[in-house]
Amino acid sequence: MEIPFQLALWGVRVAFLLVLYLFLIRAFASLSRSLRIESELAARNALGYLIVQRTHAQGPRVGERLPLRALSSIGRDAANDVVVNDEAASARHALVELTEGSWWIQDEGSTNGTLLNGSRLARRERLRDGDVVEIGRIGMRFESQVRYGSA
Amino acid sequence: MFRGTELGHLVFVALLVGLGFAAVVGSELEQLTPLVLVVPAAFVGIAVALHLFLVITGFRGDQLLLPLALALTAIGLVFVERLGPPHLLLQQVTWALVAAGAFVATILLPRDLSVLSRYKYTWAIAGLALLASPLLPVIGREVNGARIWVGFGDLFSFQPAEAVKVVLPIFFAAYLEEHRELIATPPRRVGPIPIPPLPYLAPIVLMWALAMGVMILQKDLGATLIFFGIFLAMLYLATGRAAYSIAGVLMLVAGGYAASRLFDHVNARIVVWLAPFADELRFGAGYQLVQGLFALGNAGLLGAGLGNGMPERIPVVWSDFVFAAFTEEVGFVGALALLALYLIFVFRGMTIALRAPTPFLQLLAGGLSFALAFQTLVIVGGNAKLIPLTGVTLPFLSYGGSSLVTNFVIVALLLRVSDITMRVRGG
Repeated sequence: MEIPFQLALWGVRVAFLLVLYLFLIRAFASLSRSLRIESELAARNALGYLIVQRTHAQGPRVGERLPLRALSSIGRDAANDVVVNDEAASARHALVELTEGSWWIQDEGSTNGTLLNGSRLARRERLRDGDVVEIGRIGMRFESQVRYGSA
Repeated sequence: MFRGTELGHLVFVALLVGLGFAAVVGSELEQLTPLVLVVPAAFVGIAVALHLFLVITGFRGDQLLLPLALALTAIGLVFVERLGPPHLLLQQVTWALVAAGAFVATILLPRDLSVLSRYKYTWAIAGLALLASPLLPVIGREVNGARIWVGFGDLFSFQPAEAVKVVLPIFFAAYLEEHRELIATPPRRVGPIPIPPLPYLAPIVLMWALAMGVMILQKDLGATLIFFGIFLAMLYLATGRAAYSIAGVLMLVAGGYAASRLFDHVNARIVVWLAPFADELRFGAGYQLVQGLFALGNAGLLGAGLGNGMPERIPVVWSDFVFAAFTEEVGFVGALALLALYLIFVFRGMTIALRAPTPFLQLLAGGLSFALAFQTLVIVGGNAKLIPLTGVTLPFLSYGGSSLVTNFVIVALLLRVSDITMRVRGG
């Protein structure tokens, strides 16, 4: 076969691979975009936040606002609503809950316990604006976005 | 509602099918028939029609899964043209049309997906009937040593095991949702072995017996792996207890070992897998796998070029060895992109599962996504001699109608779950 035809065929083959990769990149981009939108939505519509105050090198940054939903699990496992990356944290460590306008926190039977304002949680306790929750080496200040009594 | 992201992706799908056909036909000019122009055009028509259908019905679900499925189907059509005898291409594009119809029906028909969970035992019985149907005298068929086909005359034949891939996750999702309160109860123990509560224990034993039955009676190793795999994965998704699933895997391994000692056809697969190059196998039972391995070995970084390899040396390449053929011609780089497409598909499916509003929908989406992922793994692993070769299809790519139709029903169900999530959340 003549050379120009073979060159054109080579071009088509390369173009096929190129389009395959362009499609892959676009698919990946829309995947990551929708994940980002999701986490932004979660952050904007949060009912409350845990704001990191004390941490360690591998943990979240100081000042990072971890969004809370009406029922949020806290723990080391990635499936939790709030993931605490600390070796002293249990896979499922604690639970924060908003019921009838007030916030509550309870320990989920963690190995090393949860500190609320410096004292170890034994039972379900009220959680108020400005309270400090400590799990392992990570300390977080609680901030509610819900006005008390109105809900 | 405008679905711009989806439309944008579809442009690339159209380019993919056009360039693929151009490369294949350019390499073998004697194949230049009107069909090779009509088929890509018809396929792009189907893709655009499905997109417009979703736009017109105001569908709000995911915009990525359909283009991914269509891109894989497009590559499949290119390779059916490349590898199969000429009449297969016409059949495959006809199946693509049927699959599109099944997709539309799944989007439209059940008004409410709770229909699926309400009649769960009906689904279970339907699944069992489908599974057993190839064993029936008149309609059952044995092809290439596996009794997994149902046919009526020469016109119509299909593999019921493919449909079970949808029916089974529906039933399991409904069943496991019903018994989910048991998740909190710790299992009783006999010595160090945890014994799951009866509602979990009974299906584990039952499914195991069923999987063994499929392996022995229908001689279908692939279906065995996939049924049992879907079940164990969904059990893990629902209970979060790895011990149950690990126990299931051990039961399967033990059963498989026993079957390989007792039954020749199971043993033959294992022997071929372990040493396909052995003198007595190389040109016999191991021939297909050996040629497949040569194809993979020849691929190199960029492959031989689309249309330029020699994958036709592999027997039944268009159904069992599409992955090896694809890799031979587009190389490591192409194979990587193909696997990445599957990965994104499954990742997306799992994300849909995570966000779904009810446990039933979560389990359903998770189970369906797993089914596709696992099937891909089983056949790609079989091509690469990582695990024993089984006759399952490479989702969307392999020649085969039952498989294509089933996979598009799975896509439609995943889209419906994501649509429900969007509506519930008001996003």
